[in-house]
Amino acid sequence: MKAFTQLSSYEGRGSMEGWLTRIATNTCLNLLRSAKRRPQLTAADLSEDESRWIESALARTAAEQHQSRERGLVAADLAGRVLQTLTPDDQLVLTMIDGEDASVKDVVEVTGWSESKVKVLAFRARRRMRTAVEKLLSSKRRDETAEA
Amino acid sequence: MRNEHVISILESKPLGELNENELAQIHAHSPICESCRQAYEAAQVSAILLKERAAEIFEPSPFFQTRVLAALRERRSENESWAWSRLWRTAGGLASSMVATVATLAILTFVVPGTPSVEPQGSTVNAYSAEAVVLNENATSDDQLSNNDVFATLYETDDDVVK
Repeated sequence: MKAFTQLSSYEGRGSMEGWLTRIATNTCLNLLRSAKRRPQLTAADLSEDESRWIESALARTAAEQHQSRERGLVAADLAGRVLQTLTPDDQLVLTMIDGEDASVKDVVEVTGWSESKVKVLAFRARRRMRTAVEKLLSSKRRDETAEA
Repeated sequence: MRNEHVISILESKPLGELNENELAQIHAHSPICESCRQAYEAAQVSAILLKERAAEIFEPSPFFQTRVLAALRERRSENESWAWSRLWRTAGGLASSMVATVATLAILTFVVPGTPSVEPQGSTVNAYSAEAVVLNENATSDDQLSNNDVFATLYETDDDVVK
């Protein structure tokens, strides 16, 4: 709708598809930025399914098990919750490059950022994501130890 | 090489894009370094999570189209009402200026003192009107006939004709 109402601002310099993609990307990023809350995720916040998924991931069986649709949904939901702990820029870069196998140039095209900025963002986002998952796994291990 | 930490390798690119050398380095180092082992484990889980997230197909809600069209209609009607109000404001301004002009002209014409009147007082009575004749009945000049003269002349003539 934003594209439709701003149609007059399209100067015809790039492709229409690129213009629409950029509008959609910026709109989504602004939406995520406006929701400033970035919750911390701990093992206690996980649902039973998510907890089981983590266990199987740790047991190295996730590769086979994540094929099932239900498991896939659980993983996708968990991924969404982990991503919510990151900044919108990190979410975008990680989802595109690591999730959808997009290239750095693809991200540049969609966002208008410089190539070096995307690379640095991706590097830092990977670290933040890995740290968040690491914390989740270690808190889960602590809970299991406490229960035992 | 075996003693080098591999965390930087894990962060340099997506896990699926690591080459054989890099993977071999990670596999050689992870068993002897707890922090790198945990980092690798977390990186693997992250990679799976991100792939699952990307594989998820997002479908718009069945009401999406309806909501978008409704929002468009709402915005359009807002624009229309805005146009009407703008037109109304413009017309109101025009009408106000016209009223102000008329009022100014009226004040200048009737109220402002010292304005010379166009016609002298009493000139509204025409010298040849009926009122003038009646009012000036007694003020007859020398070269004018009196009423009696006129009547006498008239009746004399009539009598002559009858005779």
